[in-house]
Amino acid sequence: MGNQQPVKTAASAPARKRKIGNPINNEKTAGYIFTLPFTFGFLMFMVVPMAISLYYAFCQYNILQPPVFIGWDNFAKMGSDAIYQKSIGVTFYFALVSTPLRLIFALFVAMLLLENNKLSGFYRATYYLPSIIGGSVAVSVLWKRMWATDGTINRILGINFPWLGDTRTAIWVLIILAVWQFGSSMLIFLSALKQIPQSLYEAAMVDGANGWKRFWKITFPLLTPTIFFNLVMQLINGFLAFTQCYIITQGKPMYSTEFYTVYMYDQSFTYYNTGYGAAMAWVMVLIISAVTAVLFATKKFWVYDGGL
Amino acid sequence: MTRRVTAAAMAALMGASVLAGCGGTGTAQTSAASKTSAAAASSTATTAAPAGSTSGDVSMVFAWWGNQTRNERTTNAIEQYQKDNPGVKIDGQFSEWNDYWQKMATAAAGGQAPDIMQQDYQYINQYAKSGQLLDLTPYIENGTLDSSKWDKNMLESGTVDGKIIAICAGMNAPALVYNKTITDEAGVTIKDNMTLDEFVAAAKTIYEKTGYKTDLSYGTVQEPMNYLLRSDGVVLFGDGKLNATKEQLTKYFKVYEDGIKEGWELGPDVYADITIGSIEQAPIVAGTSPDKSAWNTLLWSNQYTAMNKLAKEGMDLEMTTWPSPDPKKSDFIKPGQFFSVTSGTKNPQEAVKFLNYLINSTECNDILMGERGVPINSDVADKIKSQLDETDQKIYNYIYNVVQPNCSVINPPYPDGYAEAGKVLNNVVEELCYGQIDASQAADEFLAQGGAALAAKSGS
Repeated sequence: MGNQQPVKTAASAPARKRKIGNPINNEKTAGYIFTLPFTFGFLMFMVVPMAISLYYAFCQYNILQPPVFIGWDNFAKMGSDAIYQKSIGVTFYFALVSTPLRLIFALFVAMLLLENNKLSGFYRATYYLPSIIGGSVAVSVLWKRMWATDGTINRILGINFPWLGDTRTAIWVLIILAVWQFGSSMLIFLSALKQIPQSLYEAAMVDGANGWKRFWKITFPLLTPTIFFNLVMQLINGFLAFTQCYIITQGKPMYSTEFYTVYMYDQSFTYYNTGYGAAMAWVMVLIISAVTAVLFATKKFWVYDGGL
Repeated sequence: MTRRVTAAAMAALMGASVLAGCGGTGTAQTSAASKTSAAAASSTATTAAPAGSTSGDVSMVFAWWGNQTRNERTTNAIEQYQKDNPGVKIDGQFSEWNDYWQKMATAAAGGQAPDIMQQDYQYINQYAKSGQLLDLTPYIENGTLDSSKWDKNMLESGTVDGKIIAICAGMNAPALVYNKTITDEAGVTIKDNMTLDEFVAAAKTIYEKTGYKTDLSYGTVQEPMNYLLRSDGVVLFGDGKLNATKEQLTKYFKVYEDGIKEGWELGPDVYADITIGSIEQAPIVAGTSPDKSAWNTLLWSNQYTAMNKLAKEGMDLEMTTWPSPDPKKSDFIKPGQFFSVTSGTKNPQEAVKFLNYLINSTECNDILMGERGVPINSDVADKIKSQLDETDQKIYNYIYNVVQPNCSVINPPYPDGYAEAGKVLNNVVEELCYGQIDASQAADEFLAQGGAALAAKSGS
């Protein structure tokens, strides 16, 4: 911070000379005006609703009637709500299993696509496609049909297993769908892989390092900042997953696939326990903050932060 | 270090903002914003409309949920009304069932509820108790709303705390739709007003002879359970509590338990593959092999038309009453939907006049053609009946000749908390069908959790 100080003063000195007293000519004013649409939207559609939801979290509120302040009751209710606790377990399981799998898969495909030829652009677009459409309702409906007892997967395997109707396998149908949406992580990996100087590999090859060694000694360490970024982003996505569960399983069978967000939605809009739903949302904020903080705390042990 | 903390905070904030969107307030904000235009329209109308007169510029919003057929017919009826009543403008807004109730709740919270709304037995109490619906009694007394030709039971069903707050838009009755091709093959005759024992016996025979299983209604167990308990004189979902005893519930849960053990009931895994409530995917029409299909389904009489359209070649679908130990005590005629005028309307007189048109005008109902159920106005119902096709005629005959002579008055509207208690019931039945618990444990669990869900909402 300290070494940037002189630069700043140098930049603002000529600006001060140009100022003619009219605030409209101030560079800062222009900046504020340019960011106004965003600032307005951010305040109106993010900060204000969030503040209101924080208030609702402490209220008994059913949308139709005015909220009644009840203190910490909504949060206390979570302690005795078995389905709530189950949904936390399911969501953690889903996020912690699907995210690493998705990243491994994304890295694997990115390395395959690294080679440049005429078709690589086409392949990259093709592999990115599931990420764009994967969260959509249409793909979820398709996925549900594919894994149905009389669906494509069973036809191919020649068996008759109720994937969605069994408590052990239903969550895996959702995890596999999540892993399939590896595209955005893949693109980020791809660009990071391209940044690694070829000379390092050449030097390693001269020293007789095989492909496996080159990956663990060069590629992986240099990728750790990217892996870290992808891990944080995808983990947050995992905690917030909604559509797949809502469309495909609805939490069935027996709440074995009940996502936190789906239960929150049901509480808020199906049962009209909207205050309780808001409280659940804020607990999720705390959970995500805590998980992210833990990840940042581990950063210094495994993420390579130096230059090349 | 500071940079890292900031980055972590930003990541958390990102998560938070998405959550806030789901948490309710986001939806309320955007919905309120989108309603502003409607509000502006109706406020300009107030200044121009002289109360009680027929002319002048009036603009109102009429909202309903429904399917493609209903949307087209209702829109046409609105256009006809606008033609006949120059100066009145009605903005018809329709959505799907789930979206509809979200929209209505957020609109009501923002004071922007539509002038006339379609209502349902499940929500009517909640809306009435929070003062969202207009008491129509004075308008019936002064003749704006003509009730002389109505079925009086149906008038009763739209009454909460002595106020008439909803008018039945069409009469319905529980209907068991069955595949006659299969029952004939099994040599089983399905007769009206079948008892529960006769039904179970038939289900077993059909399973033995043809391999087809029985759909005992899964994910929507509230209605059959309600129906069965009426034979014991019990209103299951009471205000703040469940009214059934453990013995009564165990008796009916046992049917589910035995059905799975003996094999004649469809397993819960079959329902995991489909969308519950979608008649297109119901095992009676969509099953691909006998052990994944059913010979029957528990529906409502107005759904028979749609079900019949889904029947495959050579599939003869017929309709009868739901099984019960005492069919006369169990069976009832239900208001399929209601129309209500909201208390916030700027033009109550005009809104009620439009409501009168929807319910009592033969001209209007020639367009609507009883799609919401059999009209409560007997003149209107008679007029339409002659124009109906064979399938719809069957529904009329079913309501008037099968159900009406042999039924009892419907339960009072569902209490607040019904949605949650109903979900508990379905989960308990799911555990029962997966063999996690037995019938008596199911009854205990349902009484404890379902009762708690209702108790939490009572007095709110």
